[in-house]
Order: sequence, then structure tokens, then C-alpha cells
Amino acid sequence: MAELQAEKLIFGRRNFSLQIDSLRIVAGEKVAVMGENGCGKSTLLQLLCGLLSPAAGVVRYNGNNLDELLMARRAKLFSLLPQLSEVIFPFSVYEVVLFGRFPHCSGNSFSSQDDEKTRLLLARLDLLDFSQRPFNQLSGGEQRRVMLARVLNQQAEIIYLDEPNASLDIRHTLDIFALLSTRPETVIAPVHDINLAYRFFERFLFLKQGRLLADVARKDVTPELLKETYGVQVTTGTAVFQFHH
Amino acid sequence: MKRWLWVTFVIALCAACLMGATAINPLNMTAVEHDILLNLRLPRVLFGAVIGAMLGLSGSVYQLTLKNPLADSFTTGAASSAALGAILAISFGAPAPLVPCCALVTGLLGLTLVYRLSLTNGFINPVTMILAGIVMNIVASAVISFSKYFFEESISSIVFWLMGGFFIVSWGRLLVCALVFLVIYLSFRQRALHLNLLALDECSAQTMGVNVPRLRSFAFVAATLLVAIAVSYTGIIGFVGLIVPHIARSLFGSDMRHNLLYSSLLGALLLVIADAVARVIIPGGAELPVGIITALLGGIFFLYLLQTRRERFWHG
Repeated sequence: MAELQAEKLIFGRRNFSLQIDSLRIVAGEKVAVMGENGCGKSTLLQLLCGLLSPAAGVVRYNGNNLDELLMARRAKLFSLLPQLSEVIFPFSVYEVVLFGRFPHCSGNSFSSQDDEKTRLLLARLDLLDFSQRPFNQLSGGEQRRVMLARVLNQQAEIIYLDEPNASLDIRHTLDIFALLSTRPETVIAPVHDINLAYRFFERFLFLKQGRLLADVARKDVTPELLKETYGVQVTTGTAVFQFHH
Repeated sequence: MKRWLWVTFVIALCAACLMGATAINPLNMTAVEHDILLNLRLPRVLFGAVIGAMLGLSGSVYQLTLKNPLADSFTTGAASSAALGAILAISFGAPAPLVPCCALVTGLLGLTLVYRLSLTNGFINPVTMILAGIVMNIVASAVISFSKYFFEESISSIVFWLMGGFFIVSWGRLLVCALVFLVIYLSFRQRALHLNLLALDECSAQTMGVNVPRLRSFAFVAATLLVAIAVSYTGIIGFVGLIVPHIARSLFGSDMRHNLLYSSLLGALLLVIADAVARVIIPGGAELPVGIITALLGGIFFLYLLQTRRERFWHG
């Protein structure tokens, strides 16, 4: 299982800079990244995935410097669900999810085991009915679930999900969060729905204007912290609607 | 379906060998006709097939790597900038083997420029790409025409470059093209699964284990090499690479493991048929440059694609 470490990360871009002094996430943790729009959540994920290069600092997986890891090795360490994903040409849902097995296949073809895993995941995520439909004909929420299946099919040790429940309905959101919280992998996900994140995640990183404001366990998330992060008044109480799986 | 396609291809090859200014009856040949068949028709038809395969393959790879259903060697400006390099090389008296090399260099420069112009925040804007490609075409054509007037002596007919055709065919050129096609086809075939992942956005592909910048650079260079060699020998034959990948995709799916082969095969088939038509359409033995026919077919197909994909094109 993989352990993630980031030291003295600095990244700058025009009017924005991100600075993380020290971050260590051990195997199996479920970490929610919180903060307002443009505070650096996606940038942090891209830095940790090596999609952006920091101006200074290092990212390590199991003590190995990310820069020195081959792409094939990286794909077994971590997978990413980006905020926006696209597929050109009419690839079927099944093909897109099967592509997730790419890091595990040798040569130019997938094994029958890959097919088997793909089918199981499609069934688990309620996608079997349109497995032969072209990806591009699905609705936004359906596409999101297909991409999520693709990411899970990669069976990487760390899963980065950039707003996994964006454009999902409440039933599928609850289903997927429940599934994620039972998986052995590390999950690191920016989430905008605070109540939902509070319910399913154990550890919370609060970002504000590119700085790590707080790194706390669930029990230490307080209204004051939320107020400082988002700049809104926060009270606790009974929500108008509560949803259960 | 696959078998029928191959059978059609073989029939087309045979038929194209017998068609032309003098129709040949294979059962009753004179010595002259025998000579025409073996030394003129056969190399010409095979040459058409190989060039068609090269253009079809390059179109398939361009459409994928540029994420644009309207991309091919012509619409990206790669063909005309390659032609520009070839013409400049000829104008300045470079030796014959250097001509395709110069075509490759300028072709890559043109393609890279168009690619850079259409890239915003890691996503390719398809509309900008086509516009930049068309402007690249116009600029390259202008410089080609200028060279023609300036170096009148050394450059063959301008029609040759701007509306390509098979005017000079030899077994040597045929061999070079066939070898280059084979090597590049096999190297793409070996990476077909990697290429598939380029259909996804860059962040996804990269975190799935593909070195996207490296694979894309390889694809650009290899596909443009196909175009540069084809253009150096036949001039600009547009739109073959635009049409056939779509037909291959609708027949055999989007998977590049099939698309590479069938785009090549359909490209060969299309160009063999188009060339046969070009040889017989004008009565009295005159020949039409085959580029005129492919441009006509391809232009209509381009408009059709623009119509059916317009929504997604402007808003996607």
C-alpha cells in the first residue's frame, strides 16, 4: 500500500500561488479537500499526480521521488478522476471502463480477467444497461459514473477524485460515497458538499488562497473552521432534509 | 464484412489495372498491351494504393491526436507546408533524396504551429485548429505560387503540387513508399492500445500510464513523415485522410487496433478507384489530376461532417 508525502511544495501562476509545507497521507486514509472555488484544490491534485511541476519541493510515493517514477509505475500507484473529462469518437461505455485496465495489461490486448473486472464494476455502479452505448450519448451524470468506474477499474493504491459527486443525483452520490468508504484504497477528493464530506470522510484538508489552513480529523471540524475557510456564518442543527442510503 | 472489404480491394486493383486510355482485355493481349499492363498500369495502381494507405493512416492518427474529426493532412496544413518544403528544396537545387526530408521539416513546423495556435489550457479548440490549418494552406499555396513564378525552370507544373496526381511513377519510388508505410504502420500498430487512450483528455490519459507528450510527438512525426513522402512524390492529394477514418470507424468501431488497418485499406481503395476514374473521365486519353476528384469528394464530406457535428463543435 502506498504512502504519500509532499514537502515544501511551491507552485505559482499569474495571480495565484500554492504552498504546502508538509503533507503526509498514509495508506487507506479517506481525505476530503475543502475550500472555496479557486483556492487550489485541483492544482494540489495535479501537483500530486505530476501533471503540473512544482517550482520547488518534492512529492514522494513510498519514499520514491515522483519525478523518478515511470508513467507505468505511476499508473499503478494512483489514478485520477479529473473535473472535466472527454472522450472523442464513439467509444462505447464498456470500452472506456475497460481502458482503466490499461496499466495492468501487457502487449496490445486485454485479458479475460480484465473483461471480468470491467463487467463486475459496471454492474456495481449501475451501468450495465448502457454498457454498449457510445459514451458521448450519455447524460453528464452518467458520463461521470462511467469515468468513476474507469478510475476504480485501474485498481491504483491512491484514488484522486476531483469533485466525484459533481452532476450526480443524490441516490448515486450516496451509493458511490458508501462504496468508496469501504474500499481499502486511499481516497483524496475535493468535495463541495460539506455535510456529505463530513459524513463519509475521516480527514479534512482546509485550503484557503493556496495555503493549508488546517489538516484535521473529523471530530475537529468546527463551525469556526468552516467560517474561516468559506467566509460564511455557520450554525449546526437539524437539516431540513436528511438522506440515507 | 472484413473479408468483403478485402475482396472488393483486390477486385478494384485488378479492374484499375485494366482501365485507362486503352482498355485491356486480359484474355486477349497484344505484346504492347502486355507491356503497358506490367510496366505502366501495375506500378501506377500499386503506387496509388500505397499513397492512399499512407494518407488514410496519417488521417486516422491526426484525427486522434488532434482530437478533431475534421483533421487530416490537408485541413491541418501539414500537406501544404510539406509541399512548400519540397518546392523550396527543388528550387534551391537540393539532391532528390533530400526533398522528402525538407518536406518533413516544414510539414512538422506547419503542423506544430497549427497545434500550438489551437491549444488553450491543455484543450484543443477544434474550430481554431481548422481555421489555422486553412490559413496555413493559403500562405503555403501563396509561397508555392511565388516560387513557381520566380524559379520557372526548376519546378514542374503548379497543378502537380496543388492538385496532386500520379504523374511520375517508378518501381523505386513505389518501393520507398511501401517500406516507409510498412515500418510506420507496424510502429503504430504496436502502440495501438496506447493511442486509444489519447481519445481521453490529457489528465486522464497521463494518469492511466501513457506518456502523453512523448506519444503525441511520436505520432506527429510519424504521421507527418507519411504525408511528407506522399506529398514529395505526388503533390497535395487532399481529404483522403479525412474521409476514410470515419468510414472505418462506423464499420469497425473506434478502437485504434482496427482503425489503423482499415483506414489504410480504405484509403488505398479510395485512391485506386479515384485514380481509375481520373484516367478515364476525360475522353481522348487526357488525364485528370486525382487530387481534383478527392478534393471534390472530400469537400462534400467535410461539409456533411460540419453539418452533423455542428452543435458539439461550437459548444463542446
